[in-house]
Amino acid sequence: MIWFETLFSGLTLGGLYALFGLGLSLIFGVMKIANIAHGELVIAGAFLAFAVVDLLPVPLWLLLPLVTMGMFAVGYALQSALVNRVLGDDPLPPLLLTFGISIVAQNLLVEIFGADNRALDPGWLATARIGPVWFPVGLLPLGTLILTVVLFGVLHLGIGHTRWGRIVRATSDDPALVGLFGVKRRRVFAVVMGVSAALAALAGVLLAMRSSVTPFSGVERLLIAFEVIVIGGLGSIWASLLGGLALGLVHVISFRLDPASGLLYGHILLLVILLIRPEGLAGRKVTR
Amino acid sequence: MLEIRGLDAFYGDFQALFGVDLSLQPGQTLALIGANGAGKSSFLHAICGMTQARGSVRLGDTDLAALPAVGRAAAGVALSPEGRRMFLSLSVRENLLMGANVRRRGPWTLDRVTGLFPILGEFADRPAGLLSGGQQQMVAIGRALMANPALLLLDEVSLGLAPVVAQEVHAALAMLRDQSEMITIMVEQDVNRAIAAGDRFLCLLEGRAALTGPCAGADLDAIGRAYFGEDDT
Repeated sequence: MIWFETLFSGLTLGGLYALFGLGLSLIFGVMKIANIAHGELVIAGAFLAFAVVDLLPVPLWLLLPLVTMGMFAVGYALQSALVNRVLGDDPLPPLLLTFGISIVAQNLLVEIFGADNRALDPGWLATARIGPVWFPVGLLPLGTLILTVVLFGVLHLGIGHTRWGRIVRATSDDPALVGLFGVKRRRVFAVVMGVSAALAALAGVLLAMRSSVTPFSGVERLLIAFEVIVIGGLGSIWASLLGGLALGLVHVISFRLDPASGLLYGHILLLVILLIRPEGLAGRKVTR
Repeated sequence: MLEIRGLDAFYGDFQALFGVDLSLQPGQTLALIGANGAGKSSFLHAICGMTQARGSVRLGDTDLAALPAVGRAAAGVALSPEGRRMFLSLSVRENLLMGANVRRRGPWTLDRVTGLFPILGEFADRPAGLLSGGQQQMVAIGRALMANPALLLLDEVSLGLAPVVAQEVHAALAMLRDQSEMITIMVEQDVNRAIAAGDRFLCLLEGRAALTGPCAGADLDAIGRAYFGEDDT
């Protein structure tokens, strides 16, 4: 019974991890850059939620879309105003720029909100349970997992089966050519960064409902996001989900067996994957 | 009509074209010939906005030179690029639909393109990267046609294709001729085939126009001399 609970809690934590990784993987897939500020986008989402509920007590179903839309705008603006300027054949300038953005973002958050630990009170959801008497599960973690899977599905459909997704994939394939087909690639990149920031922000709100965060919590989330996409593999949306679930399970199980280990076994999983299957659990080989 | 005056093209500091002039009427096809490195692709790239250029390029009432590549596509310029450049993560159908992004009105639809190249209808759901070179060439041409272009630029139509496949592609292109107002500029390695497919020809030599004239009754010896630059006796 206790193992069922461990498994369930590993999967729900893994869903959150997968959501950290999804936006990062999307950016890497489309623009071929590593967004070092991804962790700060997660945390900025959480703090935007704090700001909204401080101002007026909106219910969760309204808070999530509000934060999502707000952070979409932030991502779009970041890409249009800054990141688009440094995209090119050299991967170093975007790396340095997003590193700089992450530091500025941390300090901005400290300036505005202070350096205290904060968490989002989910209200009655915190204790709500659902399921059969012999195996009641928390509604909040279950809802988080379901929302994650739904988001993966929506993104999968959006990328694979819509006109917008076709344009995104074509831009990723050959950014120099799409202009001849009437596609403004900088705008495509801005929308993709907006989507990535929105996904990161959603993950941030969900994170703030299960643990407390500070303006400096982004780095750990970035590390998790990187581990998720390395373990899962690049080249597919579902690989991130697989990577997230695997990492979440390993964290929870290792915590059960060896409570003092921290994130150690997650890092070991990463190393083992890199050794025996460097393309990731579900990734395709990347030649570049 | 297409009116080009004093077209220069650059790749960074390197100048690839020097003051090329060209004038074509609606419905005409230009056979663009010249040795490797003569500037044929640069000429097409300068027209569609893929490289830095100087000079005047007018298509109908539109001053193309003032527009970025995206604007030129909307104004009716479409390119089938050298090396075909399929969008590799897109299916054949999706590649063709990319051509329709500019939403120009006209006769070309998915149905008409697959009518012209039936094999593309059969392979519509395959990833474009899995097709043979000839089939990819058909996708590239079809993708350009989907834009309903006023000016169709065809780079290296039969480069790397088996002769029988090249013939098939040219047969399809011949069906396009004379039935539309579209202006076509075709780059073709095979000079005889190029002359047969065009109304006018333009031979480039080291970035300059070496010889131009009507294809009907063209003097192949003169073209040969212009092609290899042996004209300065």
